[in-house]
Amino acid sequence: MDKWSLRQFLTNRQQQSYVISLGAFCAGLLVVALACVLMLITIRGLDYFWPRPVQSIQFELPDGTAKQVYAQINERHINSAVESGSEPAFVFRYSDSQHPYGRSLLVEANAVEAISEAAQAADILLINGSRVFSEPLSIRLPEDQSGELTQYDEIRDTVTAIREQIETVRKERLASVHRELASLDLRQVEEDAPARLRLYADFERWQQEVLSLEAQLADYQLVTRFNNGREFLIPLDDIDRLSYPGQLDWFGKLGIVGAGVVAFLTDAPKQANTAGGVFPALFGTVLMIFVMTILVTPFGVLAAVYLNEYAPDNHLTSVIRICVSNMAGVPSIVYGVFGLGFFVYLVGGNIDELFFKDALPAPTMGTPGVFWASLTMAILTLPVVIVATEEGLRRVPEGLKSGSYALGATKFETIWHTVLPMASPGIMTGVILAIARAAGEVAPLMLVGAVKFAPNLPFDGEFPYLHLDRQFMHLGVLIYDGAFHSQTDVRSASLMFASCLLLLVVVFVLNVLAVILRRRLRKRYLRGY
Amino acid sequence: MLKLFEREQLNLAKLPEAQTAIEVRDLCLRFGDKHVLHNITMRIPKNRITALIGQSGCGKSTLISCFNRMNDLIDNSVTEGEIIIDGRNINRKKENLSVLRSQVGMVFQRPNPFPMSIYDNVCYGLRLQGIKQRRQLDDAVERALIEAALWDEVKDRLFESATTLSGGQQQRLVIARALALKPSILLLDEPTSALDPLTTLIIEELMADLKKRCTIVIVTHNMQQASRVSDYTAFLHQGELVEYSDSDTLFTLPEKKQTEDYITGRYG
Repeated sequence: MDKWSLRQFLTNRQQQSYVISLGAFCAGLLVVALACVLMLITIRGLDYFWPRPVQSIQFELPDGTAKQVYAQINERHINSAVESGSEPAFVFRYSDSQHPYGRSLLVEANAVEAISEAAQAADILLINGSRVFSEPLSIRLPEDQSGELTQYDEIRDTVTAIREQIETVRKERLASVHRELASLDLRQVEEDAPARLRLYADFERWQQEVLSLEAQLADYQLVTRFNNGREFLIPLDDIDRLSYPGQLDWFGKLGIVGAGVVAFLTDAPKQANTAGGVFPALFGTVLMIFVMTILVTPFGVLAAVYLNEYAPDNHLTSVIRICVSNMAGVPSIVYGVFGLGFFVYLVGGNIDELFFKDALPAPTMGTPGVFWASLTMAILTLPVVIVATEEGLRRVPEGLKSGSYALGATKFETIWHTVLPMASPGIMTGVILAIARAAGEVAPLMLVGAVKFAPNLPFDGEFPYLHLDRQFMHLGVLIYDGAFHSQTDVRSASLMFASCLLLLVVVFVLNVLAVILRRRLRKRYLRGY
Repeated sequence: MLKLFEREQLNLAKLPEAQTAIEVRDLCLRFGDKHVLHNITMRIPKNRITALIGQSGCGKSTLISCFNRMNDLIDNSVTEGEIIIDGRNINRKKENLSVLRSQVGMVFQRPNPFPMSIYDNVCYGLRLQGIKQRRQLDDAVERALIEAALWDEVKDRLFESATTLSGGQQQRLVIARALALKPSILLLDEPTSALDPLTTLIIEELMADLKKRCTIVIVTHNMQQASRVSDYTAFLHQGELVEYSDSDTLFTLPEKKQTEDYITGRYG
């Protein structure tokens, strides 16, 4: 009987394989879980870029009116058990003359009369991020001429050229007139001074030119027709991209995906973060991580060097060590509150009192911003860096330190020339972990500077170029925001997944860079040890 | 004829100051409560090789570390007594350790090249002294490596990592690193115990060569080595200097019973 006890089972040599198998099974499960996460995010994220076919749908609204529209159907068939038993329903986004710029709708399956492919219908993406699903017919040109659709690309080029002309006039001519006028104001030149009058005339002339060019632009229009036969005009200048998803082959679709990815990475969000790109968020995330790394690395390394090399080996030191390790376990929102209360209100507020008194009561530094966010994240990731650096410092052989001392080096010189280079792979490990942690945090950031929509990037051409006091957008916050939109809007759910994928890519790229750096450092300093 | 083989004899007890490299007076050292060295008094002659022998834990490494105050790095060490090098007591408080340690070089049991190029290893001490001119460094590196009999082997790969060298080469590199500072005294703490016999021979020949330039104090476990290379030998037992005389006498006609027991291998 004793043969079958658990102890017997676990210690029996032949049965050991079960223990190993169990361990292997757990490890395997972990890999599978990770693969699942990656796959889900990759598939759902890429889905945002994949062109969906435009279909023609006939359906009846609850009030009995029949509609025939072009629409993009979401692949999900929502089982809206709450509203109508267990009837399946369609969720789609359509355009018609009442809602030309698209409207999302949930229609029960039995209200839908017919669905058919509509290859002739185009998915027209406008500059402002909204979409129109309609069938392009022709192009209206100035002086009531009309062009063929086949000429679309050429005409589009003409329109772009005019748009560029307008921008040049605005940027170069009008801006310089404005500048000169401002300098006249500054020198308090009289209202009717000849210089001023000449500038007014210039201003008038360029303004006229802009107006005439814009009028010219307005004459280029795309004539389209909705599924119910009504015509709809779209100014060519407003159109960002026009595609016929129904007519595309694989390569065409990949082209659309490529263009979509580029736009996603370079555009600003549109339509309240439900369309467009995520460039400001990407920029904000990378900038925040960058500033955080610059702040946390010297701080953490200095602290670790002190704890490991200088601090006496007593109770106080061990208490400090324990505190540092425990800091890593403090919930991140606590750091957010700390950042808001201490950095933003106290430190920032006092900086305002001291240096920006003129601007009060409008705060300059006493308001959430990218610098405070980076600082908060630096505090949050400090324990990680300290612990990893200490680990690296401990691994430096005593013999090397003695060798350095024996050559007349002081403690500082020994640390600087020998210990730190050899601990640098450990430091890099800490930085990698810190980056991974900081990139994933959302909650504390929302308190200290990350916003859903920031009108300006923290970086521009205006002195001092890098505005660390500005609020910024963050991929994590965008995802968080997207998760709330996704209840109603299908596209923005995909936008959320796409942002998620991007965040993963950002973390991955930063990690890979750090790992490469660490390998080089290891090769350089730890080969042979 | 026999005179040719006889080594010159110095009276160690009454060594004139001009011939003394290190004078130790009543040196006591303890780590916390543990007394490691008791009242050591000895004079180490200039430009000779002096070996310290004794059992493990008898304090020879501690004694040698006193000569460049490496014991300071151990937290609870307390040193009493005087060590006079170059006419000054190095145990005084205001002794400049950087100057002392560049004057008294040290080589450890395990080769410990820094993880940098061979060139940078040799320059390490010089750079610490603020020497930056490339020419000066180049000259010093070449000279030190020639003195350490390593130049021919590494001259074509000065900028490769020092850790790619073999154990013996690494140990000679470490010696070169110390020699670059032109020390007057070189302390070798069991420099060959981690090396194979052939490499040991190379290092021993090197030592014989180096004594023209500096005083060498070597700690060794290897009795043959001590008798082969050293001019004078000190036998330490449990922190006390038992016997100190020229090597020939110590190894052939030891005065004390303890010494005889040790060198004949009866204990230790």
